[in-house]
Amino acid sequence: MLEIRELRKRFAGGSDAPGGKVALDGIGFSVRPGEMFGFVGANGAGKTTTMRIVMGVLQADSGSVSWQDRPLGADARQRFGYMPEERGLYQKMRVAEQIEYFGRLHGLSAPAAKKATDDLLERLGLTERRADAVQALSLGNQQRVQLAVALVHEPEVLVLDEPFSGLDPIAVDALATALQERCRGGVPVIFSSHQLELVERLCDSVGIVSAGRMVATGTVAELRAAEGDTLRVVVRDPAPGWADGLPGTVSVQGERHTLRTTGGDDQEILRRAMKAGHVEHFGVEQPTLTEIFKEAVA
Amino acid sequence: MNGLMLVARREIATQIRTRAFVIGLVVTVLLVSVVSFLPKIMGGGGDSYTLGLVNSQQLPLQTAAPDIGFEWRTYADEAAARQAVLDGDVDAALVDGARVLTDGEIDAQLGVLLQSVNREFKLGAAGVAIPPLEMRSVGADTRYESARQGVATVLVFLLFMLLMGQMVMVAMGVVEEKGSRIVEILLASVRPWQLLGGKILGLGVVGLINLVAILVVGLGAASVSGLAADFPPGMAGLMVSVLVWFVLGYAFFATLSAALASLVSRQEEVSSVLTPLTMMIMATYFVSFYVLNEPSGLLASVLSYVPPFSAMVMPVRMAAAEVPMWQTAASMAVMALAVLVVLKLGSTVYERAVLRTGARLKFGEVLRAR
Repeated sequence: MLEIRELRKRFAGGSDAPGGKVALDGIGFSVRPGEMFGFVGANGAGKTTTMRIVMGVLQADSGSVSWQDRPLGADARQRFGYMPEERGLYQKMRVAEQIEYFGRLHGLSAPAAKKATDDLLERLGLTERRADAVQALSLGNQQRVQLAVALVHEPEVLVLDEPFSGLDPIAVDALATALQERCRGGVPVIFSSHQLELVERLCDSVGIVSAGRMVATGTVAELRAAEGDTLRVVVRDPAPGWADGLPGTVSVQGERHTLRTTGGDDQEILRRAMKAGHVEHFGVEQPTLTEIFKEAVA
Repeated sequence: MNGLMLVARREIATQIRTRAFVIGLVVTVLLVSVVSFLPKIMGGGGDSYTLGLVNSQQLPLQTAAPDIGFEWRTYADEAAARQAVLDGDVDAALVDGARVLTDGEIDAQLGVLLQSVNREFKLGAAGVAIPPLEMRSVGADTRYESARQGVATVLVFLLFMLLMGQMVMVAMGVVEEKGSRIVEILLASVRPWQLLGGKILGLGVVGLINLVAILVVGLGAASVSGLAADFPPGMAGLMVSVLVWFVLGYAFFATLSAALASLVSRQEEVSSVLTPLTMMIMATYFVSFYVLNEPSGLLASVLSYVPPFSAMVMPVRMAAAEVPMWQTAASMAVMALAVLVVLKLGSTVYERAVLRTGARLKFGEVLRAR
C-alpha cells in the first residue's frame, strides 16, 4: 500500500508573495495494490506538488510517504513509473535507445532493458520507428514513447500527472486500457485529470483536493452516498406557485419547470406535481463526479 | 554510482557519434600534424650552408658546429666560384685558403665560424693547441628557450579551446534537459548529483579523448619530423601534468557552467548566462599569454597559485621554464580545493534551479533560498 500522510509544502516567495505560498496543507491519502486512484482538483490545488513529492523530485517540508509499510526511499522509488505533467524526451535520441536508457536508469540490466524495450515497441506499434530520432515522430507517437519510458521497467507503482491531456479519443482509450492492465496486475495507479467523466469511469477511488488539502476521498459510490441522491421532477405548464412549500429549487425553461431536491417526501412532491400539471419526468438521480467536485471545492 | 555511470556513458555515446565531434577531431589532428612539420618545411635552409672551394683545403667546420649541415663544392678557378656565388649556388666560396667570396654581406653566423675555425686551423698547423673555452651557465637553463616557448604557446591554446568548448557543451546539455522538462523524469530515477556529475564526467572524458589524441598525434608527428629533437627534457612529465591541469580546470569551469545554465530554460539564453564565466576563462587565457613572455616573473609566480588562473598559468610556467615539483604540487592542491568548493556550490544551485522552468533565475537568490 502506498500511503501519503500529512504532506506540507511551502514555496519560498518571490517579490510578489513575500510570505511564500502554501502549496500543500497536510494532504494525505492511500492507494492499495490494484487500485486506480483519481486525483482531481482545480489548477494550483496541489496535485502536481504532491506527485512530485511522491516521486522524490521535490522535498516536503513535513509529512511522509510510505510504500509497503516502509518510508519510501530512492531504491524503492526507482521501481516506480512516472509521467510528469510537462512531457519531455531527448529529441535527438533514437526511440529504442531512449526507452532502454530509462530502463537502465530504473535499475534494469542491459539485456533486460533491451528485451523490455522490444516488447513495448511491439505492443505500441513503434517497432519500425525504433531507430528514428524522437523529433522525427508525430506528436501521438511521441506520447507513446513517453508512456513507454514510464512503463519500461514494469513499475511497482504508477504515478501519472495529467496523462490524458492532449490525447485524442482513441489514444485516451488505448492509454486507459494500458493502465487498467497494469492495475489488474496489482499495481497501484495514481493519476490526476481534469476530465472527470474519465476519472469516474476508470477509478476505483477518487481524491478531491482543494487549496492543498484533501477535501473528499473515497470510492465513487461512497462520495455519491455522502452527497445524497437528487430527486428531479419535470412538470409541463404547471399552475403558478405549484411548488410553494416544497423543498429544493425550481428552474424554469419555457413551459417546463424542473424541481431538484435532495430531501422531502417524494410521494407528496409527486402528488403536488401531478395536481399542478403534466409530469414529464420523475426520478432519482445519482450525482455526477462533476457535481460532487463542485460541491466539495465550493 | 550506477546512475552516474549510466548518465556519463550516455553523454559519451551521444557526443562521439555526432558529426561535429568526428570532424572536429580529424581537423585538429590534421592541424597539429601540419604545425609539427611546419618548421621543417618553412625553415629548411636555415641551418645548413653550401660552400665553394677553390684551391683550398676544407675547414673542419663540422667539428666546430655539429648541429649545422655543411656541403662543399670544388670549383676550378676563382671565376667559376664567383659565378656560383652570384647565382646563389653556394652561400660563400673560399679561395686559396685566404679569401671568402660572398654575394653582399656574409651571414653573421657563417662569418664568425669561418674566421674562428680558420684561425684555429692555421694555429694548429703551426703546432699551437688551444683548449676550447668551457661554457657553463650558472643561471636558468636557456638552451631550449624557444622550443619551450613554442610548446607553451600550443599548450595554452589547446587548454583554452578545450576548456571553453567542453564548458559550453555542459551548459547546452543542462539547458536541453531543463528546457525539454526531461529532467523531471530523470530526477525521478537518479539523484541530482548523479545527473550533474554524470554529465560533467561524460563530457570531460570526451574532452580528454580530444586532448590525448592531439598530444599523441602532435608528439608523434614532431618526432617523425625531427622537431622533437629540439624539445626540452621532461616532455613526458609535462604532458601528464597538462592532462591533470585539464581535468582540474575542466571540473572547475564545467561545474560553474552547469550551475549557471540551470538558471535558464532556453538555449538562446545560454550564452548570456555564461558571460561571466566566458570572461573569466578569457582573462585566464590572456594572463597566460602574458606570462609566456616572463615565465619566471612575479605575476607568473603569484597567479600560478590562484584558481582558476593557475589551471593555465602553471602549465605555461612549467613548459616555459623549470618549476620545482613542490610548487606544482602546491598549486594543484589549491586548485583541487577550489574545485571542491565549486562542486558544492554548483550542485546546490543546480539542484534547486533545474526544476524551476520559466523566467531566468538569479544565482545569488537561488543560493540564498532555503
